[in-house]
Amino acid sequence: MAGIGEVAPPVASRDALARARTRAALVPDLLVEARRVVNTVISGWHGRRRRGVGENFWQFRPFVEGDAVSRIDWRRSARDEHTYIRDREWEAAHTVWLWADASPSMLYKSKGATVSKESRALVLTLALAELLSRSGERIGWPGLTDPFTARNGAERLATRLAYAPAGSGSRPDFIGVRRFSDVILVSDFLDTPDEAMQWLDPLMRRGVRAHLIEIADPAEESFPYAGRTEFQDPESGERLTAGRAETLAADYRNLYLARRAELASWAKRQGWSYTVNHTDRLASEALVKIHLALSTDAGLGSAGA
Amino acid sequence: MSWLPLSFGAPLVLAGLLALPLIWWLLRLTPPKPQTETFPPLKILARVLRKEETPHSSPWWLTLLRLLMAALIIFALADPVFNPRERMSASGDAVAIVLDNGWSTAPDWERRVATAERLITDASAAGIPVVLALTAEPPSTEIGPFEAQAALDHLRAAAPRPVPVDRPTAFGRVAEALAGFAAPSVAVLADGLAAEGDEQAFAALLGNARSNLIWIAPEQITSLALTAADNEVDGFRVTAVRSSADPAPRTVTAGAFDERGRRIADATLGFGPGETMATGDFTVPFELRNDFASVAIDGEPQAGAVRVLDENAKRRRVGLLSQAEADQAQPLLSPLFYIRKAMQPFADLVEPTSADLAQAIPQLLEQRPAMIVMADVGVVPDGARQALIDWVEQGGTLVRFAGSRLAAAGNDEVLLPVPLRLGERALGGALSWTEPQTVREFPATGPFADLAPPSEVTVTRQVLAEPNAELAERTWATLADGTPLITGTRRGEGSVVLFHVTPEATWSNLPISGTFVEMLRRVVQLSRNQGRLDANAETSGGGLPPFRMIGADGVLVPPPADARPLEPGVARVSIENPPGLYGGDEGVVAHNLLNKDAQLVALARPETGLPVTEASYAFDQARDLRGPLFALAALLMVLDTLAVLWMGGAFARRPRRTGVAVAAAALVAFAFGLATFANPTQAQDSQPDDQAAIEAISTTRIAYVITGNSSVDAISRAGMTGLTQFLIDKTALEPGEPAGVDIATDELSFYPLIYWPIDPDAAMPSPEAIARVDAYMQGGGTVLFDTRDQYSTGFDMGSATPATQRLRDILGNLNVPALEPVPADHVLTKAFFIVPEFYGRFTGSPLWVEAVPTSTEAADRPVRTGDGVTPIMITANDLAGAWAVDASGEPMLPTVPADPMQRVYALRGGVNIMMYMLTGNYKSDQVHVPVLLERLGQ
Repeated sequence: MAGIGEVAPPVASRDALARARTRAALVPDLLVEARRVVNTVISGWHGRRRRGVGENFWQFRPFVEGDAVSRIDWRRSARDEHTYIRDREWEAAHTVWLWADASPSMLYKSKGATVSKESRALVLTLALAELLSRSGERIGWPGLTDPFTARNGAERLATRLAYAPAGSGSRPDFIGVRRFSDVILVSDFLDTPDEAMQWLDPLMRRGVRAHLIEIADPAEESFPYAGRTEFQDPESGERLTAGRAETLAADYRNLYLARRAELASWAKRQGWSYTVNHTDRLASEALVKIHLALSTDAGLGSAGA
Repeated sequence: MSWLPLSFGAPLVLAGLLALPLIWWLLRLTPPKPQTETFPPLKILARVLRKEETPHSSPWWLTLLRLLMAALIIFALADPVFNPRERMSASGDAVAIVLDNGWSTAPDWERRVATAERLITDASAAGIPVVLALTAEPPSTEIGPFEAQAALDHLRAAAPRPVPVDRPTAFGRVAEALAGFAAPSVAVLADGLAAEGDEQAFAALLGNARSNLIWIAPEQITSLALTAADNEVDGFRVTAVRSSADPAPRTVTAGAFDERGRRIADATLGFGPGETMATGDFTVPFELRNDFASVAIDGEPQAGAVRVLDENAKRRRVGLLSQAEADQAQPLLSPLFYIRKAMQPFADLVEPTSADLAQAIPQLLEQRPAMIVMADVGVVPDGARQALIDWVEQGGTLVRFAGSRLAAAGNDEVLLPVPLRLGERALGGALSWTEPQTVREFPATGPFADLAPPSEVTVTRQVLAEPNAELAERTWATLADGTPLITGTRRGEGSVVLFHVTPEATWSNLPISGTFVEMLRRVVQLSRNQGRLDANAETSGGGLPPFRMIGADGVLVPPPADARPLEPGVARVSIENPPGLYGGDEGVVAHNLLNKDAQLVALARPETGLPVTEASYAFDQARDLRGPLFALAALLMVLDTLAVLWMGGAFARRPRRTGVAVAAAALVAFAFGLATFANPTQAQDSQPDDQAAIEAISTTRIAYVITGNSSVDAISRAGMTGLTQFLIDKTALEPGEPAGVDIATDELSFYPLIYWPIDPDAAMPSPEAIARVDAYMQGGGTVLFDTRDQYSTGFDMGSATPATQRLRDILGNLNVPALEPVPADHVLTKAFFIVPEFYGRFTGSPLWVEAVPTSTEAADRPVRTGDGVTPIMITANDLAGAWAVDASGEPMLPTVPADPMQRVYALRGGVNIMMYMLTGNYKSDQVHVPVLLERLGQ
């Protein structure tokens, strides 16, 4: 008799890219809230709805002392007695780091799920990459690429992933991540909360805003096992035998959900977002949620608003 | 194993049970294999799992199940037998089996045969010959000694007989057959009822050297037998007996059956504690009792509980005698006319060919009537007198009527119930002050006690009885003044009855009253048939051939091959004369198993010095338990498999699918329920269009055919509304709202008249619709066709408008009678208004109706009549157009020419048509009234 869960083969990044694009097509262009990133201004091509450095006209304002004379718009000023300065709209790009967990546990796929966790994580990441590069943001993969701006950012990311060395994905390398950038981490976060907080600690200390997306398989959450069952950990290969698995279900579920709640509340304290996506649901749900999280200000550390 | 009726064919195999502990030890060691599952959050699970002890062995109940399975298989292999047969071994060098197969053995014959079979099987095992004798078989039957197999064949061919056992003959033959054996054993399989000659019979059977006696008799004899069935005056009485060994109170029902075996009456017989005899009455009308052909006790499938009935309980033969010459021209004055009419329904009437009493009376007596009615016979001639007296003494009923001859003849002490005064008494004549007398309440002692006295009967003349001491008790009916009207008395077995009036309606109107019939019926009921077809009477030479026999199971069957004709004087039932009906179609004699005083006495085991084994009748109930045990083991194996699967979690993993399956099953069950509920709903007698039907018939409504052309239909409706209003204004008729009918679907028979405007543009009605219209016309309805094309017709005579053409098409499929334009004297022209012509919007078109045949005297009658009304009317004048009014009551369409009177005439014509429809030719009768009054001279 076949078991409930299985280890799915790793998904090819090309397939994931195609699916990611279909998902991304469902979501409007993403404007990352970037008011805090004054220091990392690199010209992008989306207006920020405020005065700044850019190409497009924003407003005329009267010339005041201290303004550079070269900025006077003579054509406008000639029409009346005053002297005007043409302001342009601030167009800025923002750096968003994307990372998907590629550890063996992510390959798990139960019968109730449509895809494996790894596949879902990759699709989500690439869809976000597509969205962000469509908006002209700088995207990067910690440890794999530097932040770059490109219209085909998702495609480039996929290419890089395809040639990435295997086994490099259990923990991201946060060396290149600097302040005022966003990090999107897609994983199953099955470590204990303490472990998770430990490896996320550098991000917290650097003041980076992180978005955690937990990919959960329905079987992991509902624990539908019954009878005499031997459980095997895909990462460590450890085995556990339960005489009557159904008796464990309630306790297990409590622990599982407690872990998630702890991690989520910790993330919220940091001003981070925490999103759960089940593999039997649509990827778009998580995409919409993370879209919302990226485009709004979480409220912490946003003194410039 | 003495506490269980269980034995083992191979008890050594039971030693295998010792292996059970080993199996238990093995089973404890091998836990079921777990299901392997990949599970990423193992760390979280590990924190939970630490709390539980992982079981490493099977649960105790699974082990128990498996041990049980193993034990069952070991038991099954040991060849167990439940209820092993006890051996009634015959110890001699031969065994004689004497089996009663008389009438009382039929209900449990199978058990008796099974018991005998066991004896034969045992004898076969012992290898000794078998003598098999049945006690109710012809003496020529072969009884052996047989080999066991041959004995079994004989036994299986044997059947219970509907006759008593004949033990002496059978036992004597067995004794002869056993003569050659040194020490045979004897098995008596008795029916438990004593019979004649038992002592000698058992003495012969057990007298010589016998090794032992096996005595098998039923523990309880519950057989019932009917000993008598008599048609009494107040009911049909049956008597049943039972064995003296059956003292418990018991109530049984008996049924009476007619010739075709239909049950027509029931009676209840109750045996009190210790009583061996019970009687029951069929209280059913006399006519029904005559139909009884057999009586049987319910639930007793044996010959003794059935009794066949012969002529004795049947319809009475009644002889009619009269001295008057038969006057064929005036039958109502014939003295026997009313008697004949009254008695024909319930008696067979026999009349002599000769009017001379000296010949007529012997002629009648030859027919052995139950009753002879003498209408005003004065003196019975001496030659016939003694025969008549003998007949009465033997049970005949003589009914005499008074008359002038009787009144003149003088007394006859034997053939009259009471002495009479000479002459007659006249009441209420022209020269008498007395009034005609009515009948008083019937005396309680007479047979008419429960009849209501006829208030309308009056007696004007009668013969009077001499008053004496016996008169009162012999009086069956009296007049208001106390003089007897009917007297009767017994003479030997029979009786003599005198009506003190004539059998015709001259002296009183009693013979033409209903009470007369009732009285005669009672008297007939009292009489007993004399016409028993005795064997010594008519049949010549040999006896009566068997006709219908009572089978051993109490069912009437055709006679078996060995049934002999019933010789005269034979009363005993034997194998040659089994019980049943003897005779033929013209008459039968019942030959019943038990006579009136028969008793069922229990048979006692004879005293003998031989060793006796007592046993009881029983089936061989040994059961091989191997199959059930193996089946049980297999069932346990299935349970075990299910348990293992369940422990592996096979069912818990699909709770949703189970739920779906349960839901699907419930859905299927619900659908079935719905399907079965669907029929009762349809079976209710309310129909969906009941309301419409009730509305249609609760008031008279004029109907019009919906053509489908909305303008034509609107005019039709407005026209019918106009006519309805005019009818309400001018006549007593108040029709309801006009009804538009679709001839293809609506019920037409609710409407007296249907107006059908022919619309050539509308679709031709379907043949089914036309058939409905045809049926409507056949059923008395009338269709008024209106082609509305009076002025559209071309000048060419051969041409026809489309509407006319369409009408012709329609009429081509209808049964149209011969038509004529309304003649001037047709009742239609006079039904309410005098209307010479029937106008519509147009004038000139005649109204065609069914042609009424002209009668020859048409000239002097104001109107032609015919039965019924014309089923069809045809016009081209557009009647509805002329009648049509709008909502405000104004005419909708102009008449052509525009003459206001034309519209009035059109409405009057419509009124006449409706009146004609509703009253039919009644109106034609009304128009006769002036002529009738004239003829009456007023």
